[in-house]
Amino acid sequence: MRFPLILLTIPFALFPALAQDAGATRADWPHYGGTQFSWRYSALDQINTTNVKALTPAWLFQTGDYAENLQATPIVQDGVMYLITARARVFALDAATGREIWNYKYPEPPRSIGGFVGNRGLAIGDGKVFFGTKDNYMVALDQKTGRLLWRVNIDDPRQCGCNITAAPLVAKDKVIIGGTGGDGAHRGYITALSTRNGRLAWRWYVIPSPGEKGNETWKGDSWRFGGGAPWLTGSFDPALNLVYWGTGNAAADFYDAERVLAGADKSKDIDLYTASVVALDVDTGKLRWHHQEIHDDLWDWDSAYEVLLMDREIRGRMRQVLVHMNKSGITSVLDRTTGELLGVFSVPEVQNWISGITEDGKLVGRVEPQLGKTTTVCPTAAGAKSWNSMAYSPRTGYLYVPVNELCEDVTPNNDPPQEGQNYMNGAFPLKLAPGRTTYSHVDAWDPVTGKRAWSMPYKYVLLASMLATAGDLVFTGNPEGEFFALDAKTGNKLWNYQTGAGHRGASVSYAVNGRQYIATSTGWHSSVVGGAAMALFPDQDWRLGSTLVVFALPEVSK
Amino acid sequence: MKLLAFMCAMALSCSAQTQIKQGEQIFAKTCATGYCHGVRGGSSGAPRLAGRGFTQAYINSVVVRGVPGTGMASFANVLSRPDLLAVVAYVSALNGIANPDAGSEATVSSGPALTGEAARGAQLFKEAVRGFGRCATCHEVKGFGISVAAPIAQVPASVAALKALATPNVKTGTMDGESMPVLVLSDGKQSTLFYDLTSVPPVERNAQPGAVKFADGSNWRHSSVIGAYKDAELDAILNYLRAATEPRP
Repeated sequence: MRFPLILLTIPFALFPALAQDAGATRADWPHYGGTQFSWRYSALDQINTTNVKALTPAWLFQTGDYAENLQATPIVQDGVMYLITARARVFALDAATGREIWNYKYPEPPRSIGGFVGNRGLAIGDGKVFFGTKDNYMVALDQKTGRLLWRVNIDDPRQCGCNITAAPLVAKDKVIIGGTGGDGAHRGYITALSTRNGRLAWRWYVIPSPGEKGNETWKGDSWRFGGGAPWLTGSFDPALNLVYWGTGNAAADFYDAERVLAGADKSKDIDLYTASVVALDVDTGKLRWHHQEIHDDLWDWDSAYEVLLMDREIRGRMRQVLVHMNKSGITSVLDRTTGELLGVFSVPEVQNWISGITEDGKLVGRVEPQLGKTTTVCPTAAGAKSWNSMAYSPRTGYLYVPVNELCEDVTPNNDPPQEGQNYMNGAFPLKLAPGRTTYSHVDAWDPVTGKRAWSMPYKYVLLASMLATAGDLVFTGNPEGEFFALDAKTGNKLWNYQTGAGHRGASVSYAVNGRQYIATSTGWHSSVVGGAAMALFPDQDWRLGSTLVVFALPEVSK
Repeated sequence: MKLLAFMCAMALSCSAQTQIKQGEQIFAKTCATGYCHGVRGGSSGAPRLAGRGFTQAYINSVVVRGVPGTGMASFANVLSRPDLLAVVAYVSALNGIANPDAGSEATVSSGPALTGEAARGAQLFKEAVRGFGRCATCHEVKGFGISVAAPIAQVPASVAALKALATPNVKTGTMDGESMPVLVLSDGKQSTLFYDLTSVPPVERNAQPGAVKFADGSNWRHSSVIGAYKDAELDAILNYLRAATEPRP
């Protein structure tokens, strides 16, 4: 059952000048988002729309960490794959065979430390493997041996209520990391350490302190516990020397009277720099520009998501562009040199919290949750898209986005903040969007026109990252365990494989000795968004696990 | 509501009824947040709690201690004792325990409340707004902070003494031609583990045996890392440390 909505002819001829190759991966998959431009796009085309149906498992790797999920994006360099599990067990594997080269098991943090169990990936650089932990350490291992080199605690998890679940970003001689805590009484930050010795390079607080520009957008002392945690992974443009990151929602999430100045103009910046995309100088951590997507985010729209960097022609002029989506599904296209808004569009089909958005990004007809009332909001704090990443193909010019169609009943409360503790100030039980039989879809969106090119519906939810390849294929997996390939131009499903466990992670492509591989993490996450979504389908019992499955075309016998 | 009506019919004591009602409200705000448990103990981002056949002792243990390896943290230091007991009573009621006992088993370990200067000192010791320039970056006291330094055994008598604190454990380490102030954790046959104190936060480093040479003494001074505090603030912190390290009667 597919409904190709608007089938556009793709003007390939318009893109020959698109000489920007920096966004594509080749034999290696060196960064969380593929490259530092975060396209999740591989230039490999050995596997293509014609032969994909022959794709078959080449090897698989069971991590043995069955805490419950495998969310990590594998990293591949020079034929070696680096993988981290939910409880921070790290493996170096022969990327052609799955043979273990080394492993490192991070000690289990004491039970007094709460927080999410999950790890979205590691980073490599400077001959090291870097990852964050539940107890807020940044850890460096020797890339060749897996030997521990150094670790640094960046915050006391028992106090901040925050953890590191994101993959770090290596940019120049720094390893840069954000943390969780955006829904708690906590003040979010991004921390950069020297890749060489772990020493602090800089820290940028999402929320400015008194005397710093932006602090005046907070009421009283609310900036101290105002959230904004940048809990995912940013991008880096070496030519501009800028790191780009999305920041989380303000806390309290659903109740703003303690953090917003009376009579604040909601068409202007509020509670800076939450709910924003920011550009920071990689050497100093100084803010170059910001773009706040949701002024006074009262819905947990949480702009912490991935940032895609690309060059596109917009209104007759080649622009250095940044594409960024938040949980509402509102997607901003910005000039990444200045932060100027070039375009904006919204991806979910069911949306009731605004009546629309103007070309210059103004939200029209905001429906804000009210104290003492229950308000139905669509989409949800679980995300029109969750934290799993979209992909971008320069061949089609499309973004590939997994979108969920859910609603929630938000009931705010007004409890005072307690440092490091939940400060959402609201309950938001999810429910299915009314009048539908399918509750998610993979979409292709053109970021320049803001138009959807095709959409492939799916019955349940989609919570795994996307992969696009030069074979004009788009890969992702669903909670029932199917890993599948779509035609990047049409959305037609070309291949699928039952991997045995739900998909809440990411897939990558790489090559060893000229053979292209597609690898995907499998293992459902039955907590947080995965658990809340599964509860909506009582007949479903999506399987946990922690296995990496790697596919390739059959080798031709010689 | 239905549940309460049912319990009234069962002639539940008024205080238990009030406690369950209170627990329901706390549960709705603290536990049923959408990412975690569902409303009235239904399933959501965390497992269903209603009708699971849990015993009160089990519920109490999970709420107080958390569940290791999952997102369920200990709520012992999050909720006040009456609130915690109320949540236990409410979840017990959701599991068909009609008359939960007042919850005498729920042990919440917290010492006598700090007052005055000591309370202010406790706050200053770990104040998040100070970033890495706070005591808790290197000292763990009463469950907060990172135990880079050994537990504080003796509290300096005055701010002047704190500033002049001798730190004989800090040595000078030399590795790859670079010298740095270090705190040695272990110097074994397999590896050498030490803190590099060059900057805050300290970096815990693991060197190959023999790769780092240690010499007694260093140019590191405790006064160099407490500079963000005013004297009056340091005095309050010392007050706190005295209260915190005092042997319990």
